[in-house]
Amino acid sequence: MARSQAAPPEDPVVRERFERDALPLLPNLYGAALRLTRNPQDAEDLVQEAYLRAYRGFEGFREGTNLRAWMYRILTNTFINSYRKRQREPVTVSVSDEDTPDWYLYDRIGSSVAEPSAESEVLEQIPDEDVQRALEDLPEVFRMAVLLADVEGFSYKEIAEILDVPIGTVMSRLHRGRKALQRALWETVRERGLVTD
Amino acid sequence: MSPTDCERVLEQIELYLDGELVSAVRVEVERHLGACGDCTGHADFQRKLKEVVRAKCGCRDVPPELMERVRSLLERSHDHPA
Repeated sequence: MARSQAAPPEDPVVRERFERDALPLLPNLYGAALRLTRNPQDAEDLVQEAYLRAYRGFEGFREGTNLRAWMYRILTNTFINSYRKRQREPVTVSVSDEDTPDWYLYDRIGSSVAEPSAESEVLEQIPDEDVQRALEDLPEVFRMAVLLADVEGFSYKEIAEILDVPIGTVMSRLHRGRKALQRALWETVRERGLVTD
Repeated sequence: MSPTDCERVLEQIELYLDGELVSAVRVEVERHLGACGDCTGHADFQRKLKEVVRAKCGCRDVPPELMERVRSLLERSHDHPA
């Protein structure tokens, strides 16, 4: 893990390697930061702080290992340590999944559309900002898991390393987070009138 | 296709779509999906949901000056090492 108090790399080769390999990840890291902080200014600050920490810890990074996961680990740790306290609390979302079936959204949309293939089209019609809000309103541990898996495409093993939790915990957070997301999206689908009740 | 088969397969869909099933189970799930329209409908919907979340929550508007700001921050860190 990068420590912010470490010195920046002296070796020009290491500095060039950081520029070459780590800087191109910035757009994705900014996207993740935006979903974590929920506002563009904090997202920019978070990305800058994460890059500084990464740069200062880069001599400890072993070349050939997973740089992308390493950078996300620094980003999420920086968020947890520096930003989370400043964040507005998310809208309370029910994650009591005992009463949420696995196929919550599919079953509801399916029983509201005439054509069997129309369920997927309903998903397409949900405005981007509604999907973003649904994700951003998930409690933090679920939001991070869904973000890393579904938006960033990390494997369970990588997510376990990034968040420093066992793979079983990743699976459970993903499963519960996705169910909570389905509930939120169903609310949107109804409010937007994308299906007839 | 027995309901038990469908139930077992539907329980694996999340892992299947995440690419996390061991190959023997994945082959079994795929074989079932090839023959069962109902389970395929479930799997297609869940795949679409993942795609929609990815497409709509990914970042498209990175502030143009952010890359430069980060570069200059790294450069400056040599002047003021912590």
